[in-house]
Amino acid sequence: MTDSPLRLLLAFDAQARRDTSQPPAFLHRRDRKFALVCEQQGVTPEANRWLAHLNRLSGPGTKPSAANQPLRFWRRVSTGFAAVGMVAGVFAMVGLLFYDGGQRINITVLLAFVLLQLLLALLTAVQSLAGWQPWRWLLRRFQGTPTQGVINRLQPVLMARSAHLGGLCFAISGLVTLLVMVVVQDLAFGWSTTLETAAANYHRLVQIIAAPWAWLWSAAAPDLTLIEATRFFRAGTGNTSPDPARWGQWWPFVTMLWLTWVLLPRLLLWVLTSMLLRHRARRLLSHHPAMRALLYRMETPALDTGNAHNDAADLPDTGLRNNLLPMPDSDILLCWAGAGEPELPDTLSSGKQLVLRAGGRASLADDEQVLSQIGTHCHGADSKAVILLTRCWEPPTGELQDFLESARDVWPDGTRVALVPLAADSTREPDAHQVQPWLRFAERLGNDFVRVSLPPLQPQPNPYTTSGEPS
Amino acid sequence: MTQAPTFAVVGHPNKGKSSVVATLSQNDAIAIALEPGTTRKRQAYPLTVDGRTLYTLVDTPGFQRPRRVLQWLEAHSVSASDHVDTVSAFVTQHRDDGRFTDECELLAPLLDGAGIIYVVDGSVPYSAEHEAEMTILRWTGRPSLALINSIGADDYSDTWQTALGQFFQVVRRFDAVRAPFEQHLSLLRAFGQLEPDWEAPLEQATQYLSGQRQQRRRQAASLVARALDDMMSFQEKRTLTAGQAAETSDGSLADQLRQRWYRHQRQREQTLRVEIEHLYQHQRIRRQEAELEWHSEHDLFSEDSRRAWAVSKRYLATAGFGAGAVSGAGIDALTLGSSLGTGALVGGLIGAAGSYLYGDRLALPALNIGVLRDGLKTATFGPVQDSQFGYVVLGRAIDHWWHISHRNHAGRDLLELEPADHHWLESLDKGSRKDIQQAFDKCRKRRPLDLRQREKFTDAIEQCMAVYDDWRLNRT
Repeated sequence: MTDSPLRLLLAFDAQARRDTSQPPAFLHRRDRKFALVCEQQGVTPEANRWLAHLNRLSGPGTKPSAANQPLRFWRRVSTGFAAVGMVAGVFAMVGLLFYDGGQRINITVLLAFVLLQLLLALLTAVQSLAGWQPWRWLLRRFQGTPTQGVINRLQPVLMARSAHLGGLCFAISGLVTLLVMVVVQDLAFGWSTTLETAAANYHRLVQIIAAPWAWLWSAAAPDLTLIEATRFFRAGTGNTSPDPARWGQWWPFVTMLWLTWVLLPRLLLWVLTSMLLRHRARRLLSHHPAMRALLYRMETPALDTGNAHNDAADLPDTGLRNNLLPMPDSDILLCWAGAGEPELPDTLSSGKQLVLRAGGRASLADDEQVLSQIGTHCHGADSKAVILLTRCWEPPTGELQDFLESARDVWPDGTRVALVPLAADSTREPDAHQVQPWLRFAERLGNDFVRVSLPPLQPQPNPYTTSGEPS
Repeated sequence: MTQAPTFAVVGHPNKGKSSVVATLSQNDAIAIALEPGTTRKRQAYPLTVDGRTLYTLVDTPGFQRPRRVLQWLEAHSVSASDHVDTVSAFVTQHRDDGRFTDECELLAPLLDGAGIIYVVDGSVPYSAEHEAEMTILRWTGRPSLALINSIGADDYSDTWQTALGQFFQVVRRFDAVRAPFEQHLSLLRAFGQLEPDWEAPLEQATQYLSGQRQQRRRQAASLVARALDDMMSFQEKRTLTAGQAAETSDGSLADQLRQRWYRHQRQREQTLRVEIEHLYQHQRIRRQEAELEWHSEHDLFSEDSRRAWAVSKRYLATAGFGAGAVSGAGIDALTLGSSLGTGALVGGLIGAAGSYLYGDRLALPALNIGVLRDGLKTATFGPVQDSQFGYVVLGRAIDHWWHISHRNHAGRDLLELEPADHHWLESLDKGSRKDIQQAFDKCRKRRPLDLRQREKFTDAIEQCMAVYDDWRLNRT
């Protein structure tokens, strides 16, 4: 008998417990990949194949499976039961057949002992089926560390299997002892009971007991004459039998009695328990929550959202700047890429001789014309400053950079540009975070040709006074 | 097989292109900053299913010199039929020209067959200055969709919508930082509408993504269940020799144990948070409560947390009744039902009374200082005797899960976990209440949960997540 479903279950359970400390995404990728390989090879991704696959990948020298530990423990328990059963069988049979020549070996006692054995075997079977574990405390004591996982649910059956194995060994060694003693000793069997039983009644009982083998071996089913001849009484003299050889004629019955009612039931129950164990192990494996999760992982495609790329630390310079300068006096106002639309604020437009537009919807040729126009104007002017209005929310782009670089070449030396970012609501100052890119842009240009200034705010009308009214 | 669709996310600098890509590719490690030139090279983010690509998003730098590019294109084109070739010629000619690096990076995927996702910021006024960019994009002849992504508080989306409608086949609004998951899926479906061949893979992708989301919820519930098991059953133990015992007073020993126990619980909670964040592919979240301090109002053991997350005594009693009834039902089973359910009733009553009366006890029963025996003295603190502790941990864990599962990967702000102001758990069904209380009771007694119980516990936590989600949805 092989314990492979049990071994498989325990190995699976151990792997499932190890997997609980792995990230779910890893488990999913691993198992889905295995399922896909199985699909390619045309095989079903069963648990044993899965475990073999994992072990194979870990290579030689892998630690012995955690499943082996409980199996070893239960193998030791079984060996212990078998050894004890073997020794006990010899002693029990020697005790039962104790014969010093002066008395008879009472068949009734043998029948009672066999009945006891049968009852014990049945009790063990019932106990395992009902799942009672009155011996659990003892087990815990021997195991040292408490067992974990699915093995706990199999303990009643495992214990029953070991107990039946012990019983089987007991029966075998008892039978062997019986046969040896029949050969080496002259055993005298008889039957006796305190109850007033007629030989015919006893014969009926013996017939019922011997029914399973009577057709096979008639010598092992004692007839009425033998029963009548071998009855002895407590005060009997021992020589009531006409033929001393008749006392020994009971041995085939005793042998078959032991074989059929002690050995066979134990063998049968041991086989049944082993089958039950395999069945339960298979069932527990298929109902194992980790199995459900594994199947789910195998069936569900592994999704990768392409998030492996990491450049979060690779940011451009976003350090804060505070090199804002006051707005210079200038009579040139240049609106870049739609800044100041639809209406320029009075505080900016008043007193300006030249108000021009560039960038945005204007063509590059228009930009060049604006450049030369300002250049010409600056040649004759005292103050060589240009106010360049921008929309604070639009970031400075390469086009503006190109424009400013051309301006530096075209405009007379000493000309300065004040970049003035305007907020969407021109009566308000732009937000600090919207000004910062402009400060950094001016700094990146790397000269003092360009600087950044904030627009002068329009005086807010007093909502509590209207023009014409005395304040 | 047709090639998987590719979408190039293009636009003016600083309009949230990278944010859109970060959210849709669930990547919180994409550089996002209010600085032109943050994205320097194009970067592809493929969505793969079992290694098969369903679609690819390409993040690109913004336009730097659109007017110059358009001028070049117009100068080299004779008729509308040569527009694509002219754009291609521009890229070929200017690949090594430093001034047009961004434009070449942006146009190259379009020339390779990518669809256009043009991103604008709906919180700033529309400006016609973008028309040069849009004209260049139209020259590429690729299917196109415009996205209005609002970065700031103001809303000019209507004007943008009208203007963009003249240039693009489809115009959608999408807030990369705040859009709920369903909108991500709906946006992906919209990508599929750009070309008939793209519909099937995008539809498939959305199905896979929603499946993944379901799966993550289950996994998160399982992580929470494991953390609760660990925290509820944790015991801090210290063994002292006779010499050490003589030097240490019981009071200071108790303090040490208590402190270590508290520290362990906080660390375990932190581990759970990181696990949940990684599950949802958030690797870089900064949390308001990164360092849990004793005095902090967000601390696991603070009164605020207890007030916010603990359950009422009535709740405890009903959950305790359910859990106790299950144990009592064992007696009924033993008597083959002849006890007529008395076992379940008595068990339930004992459970309810126990939870009601002892639900609040934390400190004293958890401490146990043994007597000196064989030259050794053992002192233990824990496991916790207070069911409420479990509910506080559960509440905080679910709240954190909720924030993480609803957080988009473009969001880079601090994650602030404020305690809730309502006992949301009260709307949990009776079965789940019982399963949770039963699991707590077992953990408190340091009895391991078997696989079936763990499954039920995980199911109940998943139910809690649904209840919390529902409560959050209906809160405002």
